[in-house]
Amino acid sequence: MAGHPHKGNPNAAPLVALRDVWKVFEGVPVLRGIDFEVRTGEVHALLGGNGSGKSTLVKILSGAYPPTEGHVEIGGRPEVLPRPSEAHRQGVYMVPQEPHIFPSLTVLENLTMGLAGGRARAEEARRIAREIGLAVRFDAPGGELSIANQQLVEIIRGLLRKARVLILDEPTSSLTRREVDALAAEMRALTARGIGILFISHRLDEVLELATRVSVLRDGHFVLSTPADGLTADQLVEAMLPADYTPATPGAAAVLPSGDPVLEVRGLTGRAFRDVNFRVLPGEVVGIAGVVGSGRTELAEAIFGIDPDVTGEVRICGRDAPARAPRSCQAMGLSYVPEDRHAHGIFLTLPSAQTITAGLLALGRRQFLRRGAEDGLSGRFIDKLRIKLTSAQQVARTLSGGNQQKVVLAKTLAPEPRAVILDEPTRGIDARARQDVYRIIRELTAQGVGVVVISSEMGEVAEISDRVLVMRRGRMSALRAGRSSVEEISAATFAHVCGTPA
Amino acid sequence: MMRVLKSREMLVLGLLVAMILAVATVNKAVLYPITLINIVNSSIFLVLLAIGQMFVVLTRGIDVSVGAIAGIAAVIFGFALNDGVPLPLAMLAAMLTGLVAGAVNGAGVVFVGIPPIIMTLSTLGIYRGLMRVLTGGSWIEEVPQSIKALAVTRVASVPLMVWAVAALILVTAFLLWRIKASRFFYAVGDNREGAYLLGLNVNATEFAAYALSGLFAGMAAIVFVGQIGFVPMQTGQGQELKAIAAVVLGGVSLMGGTGSIWSAVIGALFLTAVDSMMIFLHVPGSWNNAVAGAVLLAVVVSDYLIRRAVRNRQLARRAAEVLGAEAEPATGREVAS
Amino acid sequence: MTLPGWSKSWEAMLAAALVAELAILGMISPAFLNVENLLFSTSDFAHVIIAAVGLTLVIITAGIDISGVSVMGLASIVMGLAFVAGAPIGLAVVVALATGVAAGAFNGVVVSRTDVNPLVITLATLFLFSGIATGLPTLLDLLGFKAYGAGGFEAYQYEGITGLPKSFTWLGTGSLGWVPVPLIVTIAVALVAGLLLARTRFGRFLYFIGVSAEVARFSGVPVRRTLIGVYAFNGLCAAIAGLVLTAYFTSARSDLGSEALLNIITAVVLGGTSIQGGSGSVLGTFLAGLVLGYLRQGLLALGITSDVVPVIVGALLMGSVALKIGSAALARNRANRAATESGRRAVAATAHPD
Repeated sequence: MAGHPHKGNPNAAPLVALRDVWKVFEGVPVLRGIDFEVRTGEVHALLGGNGSGKSTLVKILSGAYPPTEGHVEIGGRPEVLPRPSEAHRQGVYMVPQEPHIFPSLTVLENLTMGLAGGRARAEEARRIAREIGLAVRFDAPGGELSIANQQLVEIIRGLLRKARVLILDEPTSSLTRREVDALAAEMRALTARGIGILFISHRLDEVLELATRVSVLRDGHFVLSTPADGLTADQLVEAMLPADYTPATPGAAAVLPSGDPVLEVRGLTGRAFRDVNFRVLPGEVVGIAGVVGSGRTELAEAIFGIDPDVTGEVRICGRDAPARAPRSCQAMGLSYVPEDRHAHGIFLTLPSAQTITAGLLALGRRQFLRRGAEDGLSGRFIDKLRIKLTSAQQVARTLSGGNQQKVVLAKTLAPEPRAVILDEPTRGIDARARQDVYRIIRELTAQGVGVVVISSEMGEVAEISDRVLVMRRGRMSALRAGRSSVEEISAATFAHVCGTPA
Repeated sequence: MMRVLKSREMLVLGLLVAMILAVATVNKAVLYPITLINIVNSSIFLVLLAIGQMFVVLTRGIDVSVGAIAGIAAVIFGFALNDGVPLPLAMLAAMLTGLVAGAVNGAGVVFVGIPPIIMTLSTLGIYRGLMRVLTGGSWIEEVPQSIKALAVTRVASVPLMVWAVAALILVTAFLLWRIKASRFFYAVGDNREGAYLLGLNVNATEFAAYALSGLFAGMAAIVFVGQIGFVPMQTGQGQELKAIAAVVLGGVSLMGGTGSIWSAVIGALFLTAVDSMMIFLHVPGSWNNAVAGAVLLAVVVSDYLIRRAVRNRQLARRAAEVLGAEAEPATGREVAS
Repeated sequence: MTLPGWSKSWEAMLAAALVAELAILGMISPAFLNVENLLFSTSDFAHVIIAAVGLTLVIITAGIDISGVSVMGLASIVMGLAFVAGAPIGLAVVVALATGVAAGAFNGVVVSRTDVNPLVITLATLFLFSGIATGLPTLLDLLGFKAYGAGGFEAYQYEGITGLPKSFTWLGTGSLGWVPVPLIVTIAVALVAGLLLARTRFGRFLYFIGVSAEVARFSGVPVRRTLIGVYAFNGLCAAIAGLVLTAYFTSARSDLGSEALLNIITAVVLGGTSIQGGSGSVLGTFLAGLVLGYLRQGLLALGITSDVVPVIVGALLMGSVALKIGSAALARNRANRAATESGRRAVAATAHPD
């Protein structure tokens, strides 16, 4: 694609830098000795899987968190950023993934929110907006802005604060292709003015297209930090793979799945996906690869009856499931482990045992609780899934991410489903817990359960799937039968830039 | 300023006019200027409480103590007048009482972190109890004529007090429009985290909302004493719920961030007018509350239905954009079933 | 850290506070500590505890229902009107209870079907139900129903309906041995609610919904049905409270209980139920209701004006929540400091391996 007209000047002092930064949460180091710089005129792309420490790094840069050790340098001087407004004063502005737009205020009010200065400031906002190409009425309510324009509003807010460093947190995840192109042009124009951009994205094609420098975070430290010239998508994918990743043998499935499908989806169409067809046989793992915003979670939620507003056919264990709800799906033999553990999976402030038994409790007919049966059930799953807790009554919030995920798995598996959809099952959990999750998946397939794993981590999809489907912008396609390699999956997922499909 | 008049405020204003016109077909007396003036006159106490409430609700809080604040401010006002304090100073004392009482609410909510409903419910009890303790449980009577004159004197057949409140509303609306920091109330209520990340002083904004709520309750107390000429123990009782109902009716969402001063004014006018309309329809006054409750319920539920329809349409349009932009055929084989 | 330990300790603190309160009041005024007096003074505030018990279940779901005070008056006047219209007293009571359930279920339907804040919904129905209660007598006249005596139903609108049979007023004024009937009703309601909450699936669902309605939905919990059920139960409790109060005053009135809102919510929150939902217990509400009720009684017995009671109640409400916030913040700080320390050591160990 396009070249890189504005490379950072390696001799100038970095606009902002992190020096040997450590960040520890609840005894768990999230960032481990980070050295990081954003230079004038560069687009520095930051990549990393879920839980790699990206968002923590960005929050330290933008003054939302203090580092545990190490410091932030601005223009070569160590600085303390106790709150976001201080970071703004020092010229660092973060454009959040979800722009903070105030819907009932005008566009102009949205632009100048939090800034002093009357008419002159408004004039400046209008001027910058014109330069940037925000072509909307300034007295229209903010709520009417398109997502792309909301992002421009955030960028203008940064420019009004004389930001020299703009942090763009996954700005493209909900944009159309045309909007992405416009944003890319905007980013080039900004770097031409000497602004440094830190760009976070899941989309390798865009990273390769836009970045002048790429850094990859894994488990809290950088595994790659290099100029973008000559970099390939394969190199990036490899850098992001977990350290314990063992390549799968492509072509052959470990156990040959057979029998009637436990889950069948035909022509399913919803808001974020169109005409999706696939089926899952007993004992097989179907991987669905797709980046954030590809429609994969919306698809899973539609199948599980969370969003009933879809058309198409879903059959569970050979039976039609026309009007679905989570409860009826579970009763028919389909369970779902949601992507967002805290918002949808686990009762954070209740004893862990109560989450473990919740699914079965909702499914049963008994009106009275049976303490003994509940203790037995949670005890069994705590042993079976190797959940580490002081007692079954330990409050779920105080568990580590991996153990929380296992609690959710226990809740999902307690009703003994025939088919399970796992949405990002290893998001934000450590390597050992990840291996435990893979082991649980293998045990399930050995028992003849059909498993769907949805993931944006290509290595994970390649490692555990017997068959791979790819979700891209709401459409699903299949790779060739049998197992696929990371390269094949990445190529299909990022197809329109990375050239040759498998 | 006109832009905010477009939506819910206009809807409720339309409903109000329609209601009055409908009643007029049964009883023309409702359209006599004196009737309309009387409705406005009896609404200004609630209008002031509602304006104060609006600031708090905008920031996603709630203040159920405004009636009690009005009560205690009325007592201070009455004491001051009866002790011979000049009227302007007595008014200042009433407003200051309200401001301090509101600031206490703000401190509890903002700096201690007590949930708004708990904090203001606590002070509802405390202020109402203090009011009784201060007066020994008896009414304050015989407040001087100077204050009553404000309510009785009419200019162009409209009581002076109504003119004063109207001026106050216009000045407040103008200030809210001119002072940029007034947008902070919306920003904080709409997206607290976002407002913080943008560098706004979230704590000060919330604190100011509660203090303003108290200040307006103090002003409402002055109106109340002027209109009835004494301070009964029931001053402001039950009015906190009416004030909340008024702002919600007028379009201030309890989820924060939407609504305006006109929401409070129109909502309060509407609730007062409902009571008067019942009289003109010869419906027993015992039905007033039922009608007010039914109207409030109908408005918030239909508001929900409209919002849901609009959101669904937006989501569908957005999804079509994203899907449509990617019309190229997907790579690989389609999975046949 | 386990949950039951903490909530038990709050209830233990309430029980201790209750004992201390009675001891102090007893020391100042020994007459107050007479067992009969203690038992029978509960009749003054039994209705508050009954309504608070129902509200506890609603607040556990992170909801609220302030219309209960109107349902109390509505149930009272419905019972009275049914009686003067000629219904047997038993039927009149059943109709009143059914009215309470229907009113509560109505709240539940609107709460579970819309995203409108339950406070707004029940504020609207607070007005609606109290308006229906005051307007009902004239409506019945309008519809041509016949009542005993002259003046039709409208005559009952303001002065209330008296002349209720002994078999009914026994509910408010009678006793079984030493124990007054209102207290028995209160304990029965609390037991049923406590059982529902702690021993049934329905009760568990209430906590689930309070912690996260979304997680509950993803787990297959029938969220809507459960919400309608809990608001209906609260309506039933409010109706029972209204009838007990009616029997105690031996007069059915539409404005009964309208003053009780502050006391009811205070009993729930002082009882340890979080207004944000997800935690709370019936025992806590019951104990807090006793603490508050005896406070009022005790101050009256000491000859202190009842005017200061709301001041003390308000201060208790505010103080108890501030105390909880403060102790939680302390515990969190301590936990964070410990975690950071061990984290630093872990970091140091990885940074400088020996």
